[in-house]
Amino acid sequence: MLLNIWKKIKKSPTIILIPVFILLLLGLFSLLSITTLQSQAPPNAFSKQLFFLIPSFIMLFVMSVLSKRLIHKYIYVFYVLVVFAVLLPFFGDKVSGTYRWINFGLPFDIQPSEIAKWIIVLVLARYLSDHNLQMTHFSSNLFPLLIALIPTIIVLNQPDLGTAFVMMSSVLPMLYWIGARPFHLFMIVAPLLSILLAFNVSVFYFWAFFLAIVIFLSKPKLIYGLGLYFGNIFLGLIFPLVWNSLRPYQQNRVLTYINPEIDPLGAGYHIIQSKTALGSGGLFGKGWGQGTQTHLKFLPVQESDFIVSAIGEELGFIFLLLMILLFFFFIYKILRLAINASDRFSGLILIGLASIFMAHIFINSAMASGLMPVKGLPLPFISYGGSFLVSSFMMIGMILNFGRDDGY
Amino acid sequence: MLRSPNSVPKTKFWLLIGITFFLHILLLYRFFQLQVLDYDLYKQRANSNRIRANSVPAPRGLILDRNGKIIVDNYPTYVLFGIGDEIVSKSQNFSVISKATGIDTSYLSINYKNNFRSRFLPTKLAKDLTISQLSRLEEYKNDLTGIIYKQYPERIFNPKIRASHVLGYLKELDQEFLSTKTNKTDYQFGDLIGWSGLERNYESILRGRKGVSYFQVDAFGREAGKIEGQKNILPSPGTDIKTTLDLELQELLEKELKDVKGAGIVSNPRTGGLLAYVSSPDYPPDLFTGLISTKDWETVITDIDKPLLDRVTNGLYPPGSIYKMIVAAELLERKLVSESWEVFCPGYYEFYDRTFKCWNENGHGDVNLEKAIVESCDVYFYQAIQKVDIDNLSERSKMFHHGKKTNIDLPSEMKGRVPTYNYMNKKYGKWGWSKGALLNISIGQGELLVTPLQVALYTNILATRGETFPLHLVNKKINKINKIHIRNSTWKLLEKAMRGVIISAKGTGRRADPKIKDLNIFGKTGTAENPHGEPHAWFIGYGLKNDKIISIVLMLENGGHGGEVAAPIARSIFKKYFENDYKIAIK
Repeated sequence: MLLNIWKKIKKSPTIILIPVFILLLLGLFSLLSITTLQSQAPPNAFSKQLFFLIPSFIMLFVMSVLSKRLIHKYIYVFYVLVVFAVLLPFFGDKVSGTYRWINFGLPFDIQPSEIAKWIIVLVLARYLSDHNLQMTHFSSNLFPLLIALIPTIIVLNQPDLGTAFVMMSSVLPMLYWIGARPFHLFMIVAPLLSILLAFNVSVFYFWAFFLAIVIFLSKPKLIYGLGLYFGNIFLGLIFPLVWNSLRPYQQNRVLTYINPEIDPLGAGYHIIQSKTALGSGGLFGKGWGQGTQTHLKFLPVQESDFIVSAIGEELGFIFLLLMILLFFFFIYKILRLAINASDRFSGLILIGLASIFMAHIFINSAMASGLMPVKGLPLPFISYGGSFLVSSFMMIGMILNFGRDDGY
Repeated sequence: MLRSPNSVPKTKFWLLIGITFFLHILLLYRFFQLQVLDYDLYKQRANSNRIRANSVPAPRGLILDRNGKIIVDNYPTYVLFGIGDEIVSKSQNFSVISKATGIDTSYLSINYKNNFRSRFLPTKLAKDLTISQLSRLEEYKNDLTGIIYKQYPERIFNPKIRASHVLGYLKELDQEFLSTKTNKTDYQFGDLIGWSGLERNYESILRGRKGVSYFQVDAFGREAGKIEGQKNILPSPGTDIKTTLDLELQELLEKELKDVKGAGIVSNPRTGGLLAYVSSPDYPPDLFTGLISTKDWETVITDIDKPLLDRVTNGLYPPGSIYKMIVAAELLERKLVSESWEVFCPGYYEFYDRTFKCWNENGHGDVNLEKAIVESCDVYFYQAIQKVDIDNLSERSKMFHHGKKTNIDLPSEMKGRVPTYNYMNKKYGKWGWSKGALLNISIGQGELLVTPLQVALYTNILATRGETFPLHLVNKKINKINKIHIRNSTWKLLEKAMRGVIISAKGTGRRADPKIKDLNIFGKTGTAENPHGEPHAWFIGYGLKNDKIISIVLMLENGGHGGEVAAPIARSIFKKYFENDYKIAIK
């Protein structure tokens, strides 16, 4: 038995752990600066993060040696359980104004949506690999979408826009991987884009033109093509009308959301301070523990949502370059494992997990650097967060497991 | 179907790699843009986020007397401020402050309202906090938001003297003042500036240069330590000014004039330096240092005796008989009369249908020029003046610095009035006045008006035959006043007459003589009629003993006869100054 486990570990693609542990160290290094140097006595974010490494490593190990067959067999049951789990917080107390966490009487709260995001990947992987679906039909995409949407909509109402987005992020890549037509996937995203782009007239013209070309080149039936096109355009036209019917303060709230620089002390304050922290770090940073934006608390939520800004301020562009290289290597490695996987189930899982990581990396960094509105998503292995850390290592465990070409 | 094959075309793999690569490059570029391309912008933003510059007031220069004794000093006072933007709840903060210091909340609210300029600027709440009040405040620090205190140097005055009009006071600068300053860095709202007196005149010397202290604040605006590598700029204290005033003479003169209205000036005719300068009544010099209460202010400005008026420079009075030396000089210089020319004084003089009285109704008998000055005979001058041209007399008066500013180093001064032919025509019309007006002028009445300070310069001219310096309070390189072209014989007669005023049996200024060996006092009294009641009493004079000399000018508003009320005051000053045990540094 033990020998069996050892064999499994030996055959695992453990090279993936190298970037993971370097990033983990970078995160801990930064958390140490943020907490200890601000004379926060333990338990602080740093010590808690260290503590959560214990369950994280246990789960890493468990998930990497767990029988794939077992996972495949019981995943639908887990899916049902997880849907209930994301509903559970609604029966508890609000924490920071949201229903994200459940308190089991432990000294820390648990965030079930962290598990849900990769349970969706497993469920989709089984569904897509078990059934030989005609993926060229648009309708084949609908049921997988529904599977993802059910827990996502619940999470969206917690409310947790960031995690909801991450939960959906794995669906399209997996569908694409299994053979869905890019045009169909494009059409799934198109209505959302039509609405968002309608606020800028010239961008919307461009979008309408682009949409027409895509639809034309994809040669759908004329009636569908026209329907799709004008459906989208109609959405884009009707939305500004809805917008104008909003009261000014409601509009303001949305505007600040889209362009935070409008209100320097409101929601936009965070992004401005984060950009200032990043920018003032320069090429080599202000030195570890020397970040004025960080240590004088101008930088908000610096231990999780904006930790990249704290790193950027103290250690400079050089370290962010290193971080981005490691992340790229990490994702690249997972995708390599996916293409080399011998079975469809494993390949799909790897694609889904890579998507989740990619979503976290991109949204977190893009938001901290002001490319996107603030969403509040942590950065894998670097940000502080118990559930998130454990969940991340569970995903790494699964990558080791499903990236190992050893049959079942 | 667990074992369904993973038959995915390579192109899909490469597309996903491409997307991944693109997203990472996008992030990397964004970091590069912020951290490398826009580094300067954000670095500056981060610094302005955290760095606060506080100006550190420079201690003002001291004001010293001629012997280096301190007249005006500084002491540290604590001022409490509230920063509107950082105060969470005014009422809560004020009640905490009130609890800690005992200052009434309504007082804080009123000050906040009155001093408020911007919610980002510290607003003055209370002044003159004691150390114990501050330490109590420190205990409550956690309950306070946006409340700070700063130390300011404040003026403290030598308790022996007041000299409020000379020294002047400080006041917060106003917009008008600020707009006249080209170098705005050294003057900010809330700064105290010299508003009157020497404080104003020597503002640029006394002020010094403010320093800047840099400190960093955290996101909540709380002070969070010093900034490494950022040197504070130390304030450079103002320069002390050494005045010509003599603390003890000033004290004595103030005592002598304590309960009267009037002015007194003691100066050194050989240097022009003022030794004592009193305008009475005055106000306590520290009246303006605290937040002055409305009640105190009302008392001062509604006082009918006008304590705020500096009578020395801004009081205008008819000179009375002290003017007679100028008339005498004009008579002699133009040879209009000879020294032996006599007039019979029956106590009055009839000029056409008007009768002009001599002050001595019994008459002076036969009077020549010297006797006319010694006994202050008016009838002599009524007659002699008829030989005089009004414009020539006006010129002569100007020679003795009547009708022009003395240009003393104080901010405000009146110029007085010397009537000319044109002036009289303008005022009364060409046919509206006659020679009779000249008769009044001859005895220093009528249209003539002088300030006591002008009279001091006039006295110094008489004391030195014109070889005197402009009047001043702070020594600096100055030239003698313009030469006065008068024959020595004229000077001699004037001196002889002024000496006679003191020593002759019928001299009007006998009471000014302290009778000290070797001390020669010269003087002239004046009793100037005026429409406000009793005549103003004048005494001017100087004392000579070996190489020591001082001059004294006294003017008692509605005081009565100069010889009776002003001369005795002069005596006590002469006495103090010339007594052997009183050593005084003569520059």
